[in-house]
Amino acid sequence: MGALALTLLLGAQIVHLRMALRRHERLEKAVIAKWRPLLTAALAEAPPDTLPPLPPRERLPFLRLWLHLHLSVRGEASTALNEVAYRLGCDGIARELLRNGNRSERLLGVLVTGHLRDSSAWGDLMQLASAPDSATSLQALWALVQADADKAMREMLPTLLRREDWALPQVANILQDAQDICARYLSEALMQLEAGHLVRALHLAEALRVTLPAAQLATLLRSGNTELAIAALRLVQDPVLLDDVRQRLVHPEWRVRVHASKALGRIGDRSDIARLQDMLGDAQWWVRYRAAQALLNLPFVQAGDVEALAAATTDRFAADMLRHALSERDAG
Amino acid sequence: MNLHQAIVDFTTWFILVYFILLNGGYLLLNLLSIASLRRKGQERILEDLPQVYSGLEPPISLLVPAYNEEATIAASVRSMLQLAYSELEIIVINDGSKDGTLEVLKKEFDLHPFPEAYRIQLETKPVNGIFRSTRYPNLRVIDKVNGGKADSLNAGINASRYPLFCGVDADSILQRDSLQRVVKPFLNDATVVATGGTVRVANGCEVSGGFLTRVGLPDNIWALFQVVEYLRAFLFGRLGWSTVNGMLIISGAFGLFRKEVVIEAGGYRPKTIGEDMELVVRMHRLLRARRQPYRIEFVPDPVCWTEAPEDRQTLRNQRIRWQRGLSESLSANWGLVFSRNGGAPGWAAFPFMLLFEWLGPLVELGGYIFMAVAFAFGWISWQAFAVFLFVAIGLGILLSASGLLLEEMSFHIYPEPRHLAMLALIVLLENFGYRQINSWWRLVGLYRWATEGEASWGAMTRKGNWQRKV
Repeated sequence: MGALALTLLLGAQIVHLRMALRRHERLEKAVIAKWRPLLTAALAEAPPDTLPPLPPRERLPFLRLWLHLHLSVRGEASTALNEVAYRLGCDGIARELLRNGNRSERLLGVLVTGHLRDSSAWGDLMQLASAPDSATSLQALWALVQADADKAMREMLPTLLRREDWALPQVANILQDAQDICARYLSEALMQLEAGHLVRALHLAEALRVTLPAAQLATLLRSGNTELAIAALRLVQDPVLLDDVRQRLVHPEWRVRVHASKALGRIGDRSDIARLQDMLGDAQWWVRYRAAQALLNLPFVQAGDVEALAAATTDRFAADMLRHALSERDAG
Repeated sequence: MNLHQAIVDFTTWFILVYFILLNGGYLLLNLLSIASLRRKGQERILEDLPQVYSGLEPPISLLVPAYNEEATIAASVRSMLQLAYSELEIIVINDGSKDGTLEVLKKEFDLHPFPEAYRIQLETKPVNGIFRSTRYPNLRVIDKVNGGKADSLNAGINASRYPLFCGVDADSILQRDSLQRVVKPFLNDATVVATGGTVRVANGCEVSGGFLTRVGLPDNIWALFQVVEYLRAFLFGRLGWSTVNGMLIISGAFGLFRKEVVIEAGGYRPKTIGEDMELVVRMHRLLRARRQPYRIEFVPDPVCWTEAPEDRQTLRNQRIRWQRGLSESLSANWGLVFSRNGGAPGWAAFPFMLLFEWLGPLVELGGYIFMAVAFAFGWISWQAFAVFLFVAIGLGILLSASGLLLEEMSFHIYPEPRHLAMLALIVLLENFGYRQINSWWRLVGLYRWATEGEASWGAMTRKGNWQRKV
């Protein structure tokens, strides 16, 4: 009997969930029917002079609709949407959600505040950005950057380098629009960071295509830390660093040799052809592969030169790798 | 009390306690899954955010072993080429197919021999040649001597360029954003070594251009039973274990792995049927032994759809194979349970699998037979028999219903009320015959594992009625 009762209870819960879902969908449809034309009109021309009130039960579905539209617009259209939201008091509703909403409502509040670029919610957002909840805190970082990128970087840089639970690609996406500010703060903070955070900072710089001063990169390359050397090699774009890069070609760790070979492909001169040729004999497949690609990348090396090199070399592995890289390049 | 009655009482209690522990264990996993799904549901709003690539996402090698797949391979590869991901290579491994698989691939994708500097990190059967598509530079095909699925995947790993690889069955139907979903745990946590997603039954659905376009339920009763089974297996079996880092299986139909760790573990074990589970159990064993922090995670999102068998014979063969695979995986990795650092996978998940999945069919079928005989001969009271029916069938229904509840709480894949009603009916029906016959097939699998040698690629009768050509 017990199992039967529990099963019936579960059945009732399933039916209840389905009915709640339908109710929710009906409300969403009604909100869309009422507000979408108004918001679309606001996007196309100026927002209407008078707006209907936003009843409490329509607030959450309205904010979701507003967010949805926001995701597909930029510039003036975005400003128009924000104007409508401010006039309807959505900034206040969002702040209320930040403070007293449940987890999903807080997330909604964070996203709305971010699109509104509402700096009056700074304190609430800072608090959420420090919370252990990865999803909410990361979105709070985004909202802070939207409100004031400079201040956000100044206050949040240590946190974003420390928080391993914030996926770096997502952090990089958030900072995409604030590349210059980010470059400045990263460059200033770089040499004071401890090794673990430094690697993350370098990866972030790479994702944001930040050019770091060659002197800083040289220091990092000479640090003796393998992970730092790899992260720094990935950022090397300046021929001033050629000697440092060349020295890393004989590093005992093969991953360093891989990235040194790649870096030579970007900045190497004619004398590096012989060095890369030597790397084709490396015991590690990846080093040989990257060296072959690097040779092909050098602007003064033609495909014919590489073919000749492949024909002339007595090392079968090197010849195979050169042919492999050539075919790969030919195939696009 | 005479000896006969003592044996009857002991056996009765043993069976009852076994069924209570079995169902209680699953109910506990169910609770863990509810908490996990609830949290995920709260983040649903983030899924609408635009996907922007930063260039830091780890590139992925998609490995597609193929054996005699000439009818479907071109459509499968074409749909894989449309997957949404920043950097992706597709490696099809033709495992010595006897039909025209390689010819179809050559023709459809304009393949040409590629002078690959092939790197042998895992021993495999000889590779005859490597081809590259001139139309799709990220598509390569390895043609090799037949060695089985595990051997093919190992060859794919050898040829792969990227740090993560995803093993995919050639006949799997993937969601367009499946890779974006299963890679998320790798982005959020550097210790993640593998992730798997939910596999759903494609029968009754509409597929167009290699992608699922409309969800439906199959008409076939065997397939319907499997829809409920898959809900149970994935939504609380795997998700529940994943919450405590104890998931022992990632479906071979779709799983993402950190290549470096798989190579260190020795790759897929050739000549096994359950190569997907065996690898995951072995990874747990080795990483636990090394005391290396790691996570193997389950992503509950439906990322992959597969065609379930629609006839009794094919289903029977599949279940026999699965049970043999389970047996191989557990017997090859006893060390995990005795490890001083076994943790959740060694001390909870492995014994659970051993007692309730591996030995389960033996005790379950034995239990049904014993209780029926004992009741018929008057050895046990009707109350004892009723309690048995309650724990064996009543709790079984409860578990299946909870699987349906999880689905309704989270994904609402089946949109129409009649779908829900049909699934509710199946939840009831599957406990009267289907589960018992399944136990019988699994028992046959157990017997064959104990008595027979190695197995090869399983032949599966596929109908593909749901597939619409475009």
